[in-house]
Amino acid sequence: MSPRTDPILDCPIDQVPDGREFVEAAMRWHFSPETGSPFWLERAKTLGFDPRADVRSFEDLRRFPNVANELREVRVEDLIPRGYGPDAAVVGVYESGGTTGPPKRVVVLRDWLDRLLLRLEQDLEARGYPESGNWLSLGPTGPHIYGELVRRQAERRGGIRLAVDMDPRWVKRSIAEGRAEEAERYAEHLIDQSAHLLRTQDVRVMVTTPPLLTRLARRDALVSLVNEKVSVISWGGAHMDPDTHYLLRTEVFPGVKLYGMYGSTMILGGLPERVVPPEQDVIVFDSFSPYIAFEVVDPRTGESVRIGDRGQVVMHHVSKSFLLPNNLERDLATRVAAPPGQTGDSVADVGPLPTFEDEPVIEGVY
Amino acid sequence: MDEPIQLDALGAGGPYRSRSRLPIRELGGLLIAELSLVPRLFVQRTMAALRRARTMPADERAAALTRAGRLFETGVVGDLGAEEYRHIVSRVSGMPITVVRSAASGIAHRAGEAYRTTRYARPEGAVDDWRDPLTRTGQAVWTRRGDVFAVHAAGNHPGVHTLWLEALAMGYRVAVRPSRREPFTPHRLITALRESGFGEDQVVLLPTDYSVADDVIKDADLAMVYGGEEVVNKYGDDVRVLPQGPGRSKILLTEDDWERHLGTIVESVSAFGGTACVNTTAVFVAGDPAPVAAAVAERLAAIPSLPPEDDAAVLPVQPVADARAVEKYLLDHVDGATPLLGGGGIVHDLGDGSGVLRPAVFLVDRPDAPQTGIELSFPCVWFAPWSPDDGVGPLRNTLVLTAMTRDDDLVDRLVDDPSIRNVYLGDAPTFWMPQWVPHDAYLGEFLMRTKGVIRA
Repeated sequence: MSPRTDPILDCPIDQVPDGREFVEAAMRWHFSPETGSPFWLERAKTLGFDPRADVRSFEDLRRFPNVANELREVRVEDLIPRGYGPDAAVVGVYESGGTTGPPKRVVVLRDWLDRLLLRLEQDLEARGYPESGNWLSLGPTGPHIYGELVRRQAERRGGIRLAVDMDPRWVKRSIAEGRAEEAERYAEHLIDQSAHLLRTQDVRVMVTTPPLLTRLARRDALVSLVNEKVSVISWGGAHMDPDTHYLLRTEVFPGVKLYGMYGSTMILGGLPERVVPPEQDVIVFDSFSPYIAFEVVDPRTGESVRIGDRGQVVMHHVSKSFLLPNNLERDLATRVAAPPGQTGDSVADVGPLPTFEDEPVIEGVY
Repeated sequence: MDEPIQLDALGAGGPYRSRSRLPIRELGGLLIAELSLVPRLFVQRTMAALRRARTMPADERAAALTRAGRLFETGVVGDLGAEEYRHIVSRVSGMPITVVRSAASGIAHRAGEAYRTTRYARPEGAVDDWRDPLTRTGQAVWTRRGDVFAVHAAGNHPGVHTLWLEALAMGYRVAVRPSRREPFTPHRLITALRESGFGEDQVVLLPTDYSVADDVIKDADLAMVYGGEEVVNKYGDDVRVLPQGPGRSKILLTEDDWERHLGTIVESVSAFGGTACVNTTAVFVAGDPAPVAAAVAERLAAIPSLPPEDDAAVLPVQPVADARAVEKYLLDHVDGATPLLGGGGIVHDLGDGSGVLRPAVFLVDRPDAPQTGIELSFPCVWFAPWSPDDGVGPLRNTLVLTAMTRDDDLVDRLVDDPSIRNVYLGDAPTFWMPQWVPHDAYLGEFLMRTKGVIRA
C-alpha cells in the first residue's frame, strides 16, 4: 500500500485514533522517502533501527534518540515532510527560548495549527471563557509560538489580541551575566506597558507568565484594573507553585478565573489544565493523544516513576506535520494517572524542586 | 512523635501553612517538623502589609517585648512547652542543651531590656520626640531611617535572635527569614511577640526557598544578613544592608604568665560548642605558641563526647555525614600546620546517625598563615607566633579581639583599627557580651539617624 497520506493521520479532531495504528502510520509517513522530511530521512540512516518496522507503538517511541539539539542547526525547509508537496502551508517558524544554547527551531504547518486550535477552543468553551472581548498577551511574541497561539485563539473568539512583547532571551542573558537589576528594569518596563493597555483598553482575557503575574500583583492599581475588567487569566510558559495559585485565586484576583497552560515549542503547542475544583490548587495537565504525550521518568535511569512520584518530563510530538519523540524537558513534575484513552502520563505540579540554600556552605559559623 | 510539628509561616494575616514544606529532621534523621515555605507573592504581599501598618507606641512596644520574653522563656507557645522547645532545638541543631537553656534565658532577658538597649546608641544631643521642649529652640530628634527591617537569620545559636528585638523596640516592623538549621527559635519568639501585644502586621516569619530570599531584603527599607564571606561580598556595597559576616575572633597573648589565662582561652574557644561568631578561632602568642597550644589542647581533649541533650554536653553534634564534611574541609585545609589535637579527624560517631565534632588545635609557623582565618562551627583554634614587629596586620578583620597585653601603644592601634570591631583587654573571654557593649556597633547606629527639628 502506498504510504501517501494515511487517513488516520488526518483523522477528525473529535476522534482519538487507535494509538498503535496511528504510530505505525506516522512512522510510514515520516520515514518513507516520498513523504518524510529531509531531516528525518537523513537522520534515519544513523538510528540503528528502521522506524517503519521497529516502532509500532507508543512505547516504542522511546527507542528514538533525543534529536532536539539538532534542531538548532537544521535548515527549516528540511523539517517539512515531503508528502506535503512543494506548497506546504507554513504558518510560521518558531524558536525555543534559548535557555541552553542557541534556539531550537520548528516549523508549524496549517493542518497542525488547525487541529490544535480546535482542541483549545473546545476547551475554552468548556471553561466558560468570555464569548467575545479582547485578549492581552503579556509574554513572548516574535519568534515564539506563545504569542502566535494567543493571537489565533483571540481571533477565533472574535476578539482582538493586544500585546506587550517580552524577549525571554534578554531576561535570561541579563541574569546569566549577573545583571539581575537589568532583568528587573526590563520586567518593570513590561508591566508599565501592560498598565497602559489595561487602563485604556477593554481586556477580558489576560495571558501571561506566573513571574509577570506575580510582579503585576505588586501594583495595587493594576490589581484593581484586572479585577474590574478581566474575566480569565491564562498563565503558562513557567511554573506556578500551588501556594502562589492559592493566593492569586483567593486574595489577589478572587473574581477572575485562573487557567494554566503547559507546553513547549518542541511539541508545537501547549495544553490547558485539567478541569478540577479550583480549591485543589495543584494543577494537572493532560496531554493531547495521540499527538502530544508526556511521560515522567527518573532522570538517572530514564525509567518511568510510579504514579504520585516526581520525575523529569519527557515530551513526544507525533503528527503528520512533525515528529519529535523523546524530548527530555528540564521540568520536574508529579506523575498523575492519565484519563481513559490518553497515551502516556498526565503531569502535576510542574516545576523545579525547592532549594533552601544555594549549596552547602561549610566554612563560617552561620 | 507521630505527626511532625508544623512550623507555619507567620504572615501579616496570621499563620500560613503552605503546600510547599521543608522537612526538618533531628540529628538522627527523624522527621520532627515541617517548615512552610512561602512563595514570592506571599513575601511581597506581607512586606507591603508591614509597610502599611502603623507603628505601636514606644511604651506598648517595650511592655510587649518584656511580656514576650517571659512567655518565650517559660510559657507554652504554639503547644510547645519551654523545656520541650529547648530539647528540640538541641536535638535539631546539635547544640548542647545547657547552651540552649542559657540562650533561651538570654533572649528573654534581652527582650525585656530591648528598649533600654536602644538608649545606648542614641546620640546625647538627640531627643526622642518632636514634642520635647528642647525642640522649641532647635534640637536633634532621633528618627528611624525606614519602617520595615528584614533579617536573614542564622541558625548557629539561638542568641542570633536577640539583636533584631531592638529594631522592634525602635518601632520598626520586622520580617525574619529563618535558617533551615534552626527555625524553632524565631518561630517561638515571633509567636510569643504576637501573643504579647505585637500585631500580626508588626513582626512576621517568612521562611522561603533560596530563590525568593532576596525578595525579603528587596522589599524592606533596611536589612541585616548573617553569613560568611560570601554575604559580605554580596551585600558589602549595599548601604541598606548590614552584613553580619564572619567573626574570626582572636586572642593576642603577650604576657609571660599565660597559665592564669588558660581557662579564659579554653572557654573562648569552646563556649557555646564553639558555634558562635564570638568564639576564638585564632590565638597569637608573643614568643613560642607551642606550650600554650599544648596546654589548651590538653584541656579541650578532656571534654567528653556526649549527645547534645545530655546536661554535661559541651561539644556540638551534627548528622554524621555533615560532621564528616566539616572534618574533610578541615583536613583539606591543614596545609602544613602542626596538629596538636584533631589532626587524625574530629568526628566521634555516636552510633545513632549523629557525630560529635571534637575540638581541634593546630599550630602554624607564622602570624599571617591563612589558616588563622578559618572559622568552623565547632571548637577549632589555630595558634600562631606573633611579635611586635608583625604589628596589627595579622590581628585585623576581627569581631572580638582579646588582647592580654601591657603594651598600651599596641592597644591604641588595635582600638583605632576599623576592621577590629571590639577590643577586650586582659582576662576577658571573646564571647563576653553584655547588652550595653555593642556587638558589631549598636544596631541603633544603623537603624536610626538624627533629624533637625525646631519649633520657631
